[in-house]
Amino acid sequence: MKARIFAAVALAAALSVVVSTASGGNKSAGKASASSITVWLMSDAQAGWPAAVANATNQFQSQHPGVDVNVQYQSWDSVLQKFDASIAAGDTPDVIELGNSQTAKYMAAGAFQAIQPKNYPNSSTWLAGLKQSCTYGGKTYCVPYYAGARAVIYRKDLYRSVGFRSPPKTYAKFLAVNSKLMKKYGKNSNFSAFYEPGQNWYVAMSFVADYGGQIATNKGGKWKGTLNSPQGIQALTAFKSMVLKFSRASKTNDEAHPFPSIPFAKSRAASFIGNGWEWPYVFNPKGGAAPASFAKKMGAYPMPSHIKGRFLPTFLGGSDVGIPSQSHNKSLAADWIKAYTGTASETLIAKAGNVPNTTKLLGVNAKIPALAPFAKAANYSWFVPIAANWVNVENANILKTMCTNILTNRKSVAKATADASASITKILNAKS
Amino acid sequence: MSSRSPVAAASVAAPYAQRRRPVGRRLRRALAPYGLLLPASAVIAAVLAYPLYYLVRLSFQHYGLFQLVRHKGVAIGTANYAQIFHDSLFWHTLVRTVAVTAVCVVLTVVLATLIALLLVELSSWVRLLLTAGLIFVWATPVVVAISIWSWMIDFEFGVANWTLTKLGVGNFNHHDWFANPWSGWGVIISLIVWGAIPFVAITLFAGLTQVSSELLEAAAIDGASRWRAFRDITLPLLKPIYVIVISLSIIWDFQVFNQIWLITNGTPSPDYYMMAVYSYVTSFKISEYGLGSAIAVVMVAIMGLISVFYVRQMVKLGDVE
Repeated sequence: MKARIFAAVALAAALSVVVSTASGGNKSAGKASASSITVWLMSDAQAGWPAAVANATNQFQSQHPGVDVNVQYQSWDSVLQKFDASIAAGDTPDVIELGNSQTAKYMAAGAFQAIQPKNYPNSSTWLAGLKQSCTYGGKTYCVPYYAGARAVIYRKDLYRSVGFRSPPKTYAKFLAVNSKLMKKYGKNSNFSAFYEPGQNWYVAMSFVADYGGQIATNKGGKWKGTLNSPQGIQALTAFKSMVLKFSRASKTNDEAHPFPSIPFAKSRAASFIGNGWEWPYVFNPKGGAAPASFAKKMGAYPMPSHIKGRFLPTFLGGSDVGIPSQSHNKSLAADWIKAYTGTASETLIAKAGNVPNTTKLLGVNAKIPALAPFAKAANYSWFVPIAANWVNVENANILKTMCTNILTNRKSVAKATADASASITKILNAKS
Repeated sequence: MSSRSPVAAASVAAPYAQRRRPVGRRLRRALAPYGLLLPASAVIAAVLAYPLYYLVRLSFQHYGLFQLVRHKGVAIGTANYAQIFHDSLFWHTLVRTVAVTAVCVVLTVVLATLIALLLVELSSWVRLLLTAGLIFVWATPVVVAISIWSWMIDFEFGVANWTLTKLGVGNFNHHDWFANPWSGWGVIISLIVWGAIPFVAITLFAGLTQVSSELLEAAAIDGASRWRAFRDITLPLLKPIYVIVISLSIIWDFQVFNQIWLITNGTPSPDYYMMAVYSYVTSFKISEYGLGSAIAVVMVAIMGLISVFYVRQMVKLGDVE
């Protein structure tokens, strides 16, 4: 009996050793064989342009038969934490998509493998804005993927019902049409003339850019948050008054909770500011499931600026794809990226409502009437401060919290912007 | 685990061993308990002690994304601790954590006691129904439960606002429960307490069934009110159970994370920080892993103190029996 107990203990101890070595062995074996690569893309691709992903994978597999491409779709909320965890574990994906405001921190930390742009398709005509977000210290660390400009997506029939046969060209007209819509339909307390989720800080910052303000400035290597400048306060005061009058969206949620396309498709909103891909998303089962006939009622226009003849500057958002420096399959990863950012896939990405990564394909969108206003909106644009720590400002929800504080009257515009600026100054100057 | 105790096994095995090697037998007998503890100790060391050691080590390092990529931190002594102790956000968060924990534990224990007392009085099939309801709440995975709650209180399409409006409580159409932190915390605390009640209620009910009804009847005959009987008879008898459930509730509620994180879509404003959220945001959102670890170490230290109290109470109770 006793012998049996000892045997059991010895067996358990031996097993634990076996288990640990076995799992260690598995891991290294998987890496060496390289029968598959792992690709992390944002779920936007899954919802908006799955054909482009399939096209790239087909093209890649005709070049590398037998190599599986494991595409894993990520959400913007959690992708960076997951990426950090994979870096800590030494088990990163082979290809990863990051937003163009997120790349700086990762390039600065050495998380990306440097690349030779000339080896990639259309690199001589890459969009300048995206190319800049892939460049750090004179080297290129990622490949431009796509960009997006935001415009107002609206209901033509509702605008017509209050006497607007064409979209407003000035900010005063914009205010006028929305006032009329609220007067006519606002008795329904679910209705918003202009649906603006309170934490959609991209629109708030568009106002700041329109009034000549900046989020932060750099003097002699020191960053300073400047939203509490007179321009910033003026801009956000105008933003607040507009939103409180015309929007009944939540003031504590962002533009993904829910997607504005949902209340829009359900006739709860006459308009909202959205990316090009949000137009087709209105018809997606997850994005509002509008019937095909709804398309006839839809239109888009660049949001007018308070300065005559200009548009409200739009955030030049976009995405890049890169190869993590810890990837074990860098050359395969490069081949998949070449296929995905090549002309064939980028054409499909453009048709889905995005600005493609090369100026050569800009004509694709201009020919589609629904997408032309988005291309026009991109004539006036702004971007986040080019600082390695910028993404930490986004991750700490500084601007979302500020918008909520302003729109719920928890803080005055002056106090909310001063608090946000102090946080921004602190985060941007933190040593990495 | 074998159902046979090691002592019993050893005594059965004894006659054989005695005949052959008496010294080895004694040695083996002395070492056997340690041998048996070894697997469990190894597991605890691997899953608890090592991460804790690593956490403490990290808290004395500057460890950002740059260091993460290289898997190597920079030792900076106690600078992380100095920074958090000079941060007003840390103190606000600590006070809020203690306050929220206190409210949650009190509500959980009081409501669970009332439910347990109700269970004793109910007819058996209603008791079965109520117990089944409690078990369902308990069995719901916390992430699923939070998703259901967040749909119910949704700003745009939520059933809670719709129902309250229909019932004539007021115009709750487009009521934003998180616009005001007091009402936001009301929702979060309800969610935590709702999830915590079943375990406590069922445990207390199990305890109540052991309270002799003769004692309560005798008290009633002597003219004691129900409240008096509960206070002077039931409560002292249930003290061991209360010590356990209160201690466990404090430990659970102090480290609440999921409920806050998921119901705010992963974007809580600092008004909604508890220690665990604050540590997570600092570590994983801002990539200040050293600083985040220091916050976590402070949290572990506070929990450690609570655990000491808990263990001492348990040992005391053990002595009485």
